[in-house]
Amino acid sequence: MDVNAIVYAAVVLGGLGVLFGAILTFADKKFAVPVDERFVLVREAVAGANCGACGYPGCDGYANAVVKGKAGIELCTPGGQKTLDALANIMGKESAQTEVQVARVLCQGETGVVKPRYDYAGPHQTCHTAVSLAGGPSMCVWGCVGLGDCVKVCRFDAMKIENGIVVIDENKCTACGMCVMECPRSVIKLLPKAARVTVRCQNQAAPRDAKESCDRACIACRRCVKACQFDAIHVNDNIALIDPHKCTLCGECVKVCPTNAIEQLA
Amino acid sequence: MKLSFKGGIHPLKELHEGKHSTQNKPIRELIPEKVCIQMDMHIGAPSEPIVKKGDRVLLGQVIANPVGGIGIPVHASVSGEVTGLVTRQQLGKKPSMCVEITNDGLDEWAELSPLGEVESAPADKIIAQVKAAGICGMGGACFPTHIKMTVPEGKKVDTVILNGAECETFLTADHQLMLEQPGKIVDGLRAIMRAMKVATGIIAIEDNKMDAVKAITEAAKGREGVQVAVLKTKYPQGGEKQLIEAITKRQVPSGGLPSDAGCAVFNVGTAAAIADAVTKDQPLISRVTTVTGSVKEPSNLRVRIGTSFQDAIDFAGGFSEEPGKIFAGGSMTGIAIPDTSVNLSKANNGIVVQNLKEAKVAEPTPCIRCARCIQACPVKLNPQRLKELCDMADLAEAKKKHVMECIVCGACSYVCPAKLELSPTFKEAKEKITARRI
Repeated sequence: MDVNAIVYAAVVLGGLGVLFGAILTFADKKFAVPVDERFVLVREAVAGANCGACGYPGCDGYANAVVKGKAGIELCTPGGQKTLDALANIMGKESAQTEVQVARVLCQGETGVVKPRYDYAGPHQTCHTAVSLAGGPSMCVWGCVGLGDCVKVCRFDAMKIENGIVVIDENKCTACGMCVMECPRSVIKLLPKAARVTVRCQNQAAPRDAKESCDRACIACRRCVKACQFDAIHVNDNIALIDPHKCTLCGECVKVCPTNAIEQLA
Repeated sequence: MKLSFKGGIHPLKELHEGKHSTQNKPIRELIPEKVCIQMDMHIGAPSEPIVKKGDRVLLGQVIANPVGGIGIPVHASVSGEVTGLVTRQQLGKKPSMCVEITNDGLDEWAELSPLGEVESAPADKIIAQVKAAGICGMGGACFPTHIKMTVPEGKKVDTVILNGAECETFLTADHQLMLEQPGKIVDGLRAIMRAMKVATGIIAIEDNKMDAVKAITEAAKGREGVQVAVLKTKYPQGGEKQLIEAITKRQVPSGGLPSDAGCAVFNVGTAAAIADAVTKDQPLISRVTTVTGSVKEPSNLRVRIGTSFQDAIDFAGGFSEEPGKIFAGGSMTGIAIPDTSVNLSKANNGIVVQNLKEAKVAEPTPCIRCARCIQACPVKLNPQRLKELCDMADLAEAKKKHVMECIVCGACSYVCPAKLELSPTFKEAKEKITARRI
């Protein structure tokens, strides 16, 4: 075989490479689009999960909107206080103290706790479709269906299905709110991380029906209201609700709740 | 030439669309001992009950008043005692308010005030009469008919189409109604045409029901402006927009209503109910429904509104084998029911019982890009691409690719060799897009 052919090819290809490299370098300098240097800084400061919590298409979209002044600096919830401070610094705005939030599942309807209505064997195993069929697979029309629509949208691997109900890992949750939006029954709510005592039920049915459908349903008995010395619990629409700003985490309501609908986290 | 639209499928072709077991079976009347009538059968706000426990009601008496602009009243479908106002889980997302009535077997009619024969009845009173009779679209959507009969400001309707296509598999209710009461259907069409001041009325029937075509043609003889159109047997021929395209060659614009194409479409069952409302002032208290599949005597039944599924299945001889899945409606667009205690509404055109083997769901496999779904789609969408977008939760892009035009007919899912759940995905996506205002 002729060695010259190899040398010739190497020289030609190498030469072409150098030539195109030179053209590209020239073009890069000559036709450079000026980028707001703040964009680069903002892009680095945000969480970078492309989760969509801010409502913009990805982190690039949000950073762009922030730099142009179209979006507020507080929208990147996964970034938390750190991102907020950084963005305030870059954009020359006042930073505010944010409350750390997490997503909480307001339902304890595990398999065996809530009574089943039917066995959902449909081909399309999503919560959204299941709840549209005659009130959903369980007797409670307010509770978690456990087919995991929320798990699919969680970008932080913070959710999983256990015993037919979704469980959120508080340490991984960034309160981006994608699961809150996805849940067809609004079972997941964003609550302050400091609020350790929550009523984990949203069953607004008449107390007797609620009790019949689920063992851990809030039956609006108001014992917690009486037990609370800080006026933090009120019953509306057959459901007790704790005001996290008044709650002192004393745990008296947890002790009196006859159905264990109120839970105190460690 | 037989009229048709582009796309579509022919489900269960070799089995005669599953209709043979109830074809030409005369309609039998089922009068239940007890009815449980929902207040939210129709699209629009639920009606407000005006009876209380212990009241005696007569057949056709108003038991609930309409609420809001598109509401309709609800009538007692048997005479007897109101045994309770209960909240029961029917086929909707949340439990519905229902009125339970125990039948005293007398079928004593409430006082009726008919408008007279359809050709001589005062045209301006027909729409009010239809509303008072509580009539809503009986093809399955249950949209209040009086709203459909009121032509929106600035629009012009020149053609009324009666939908007798019955392209849905297994069902023969409309077919049997056309065979037994063709005169009433034509009367109903004339009443609609006179109320809407439209000169042309077309009754559309698929070519697998030539006996019905004959019966209707016979009945329409000498009636002003009434024509019969024969359509190719194809699914979803009875879809509103497909029907308009097949008959008039006009297309309903994206996001538009049939009135944008100068048409108004009604089911043949609705027309028969309108004829009853005008000539006899009988409100909508019963409807024809097909009970078929794994039952001992598949039948066409005239059932009272609020009859339980169990009563209807028992009347058809009970299950012939262990049921796997029961549909309210046909097997293409029907929805599975949780148990047989739920009640029939004005929209239930059929009950299809599948056995355990038929009810088995195939495991989906990856898309092989055969493009059969694209050929089958009657609204010319690309289901394969839309499914990808929906799975990636990119609903904004799915909307750009016109997922909102999907009529959820299920043709794509039916032809998919990979058994992908295309149609349910789009139904879900549509609901999410509407709810989140994407």
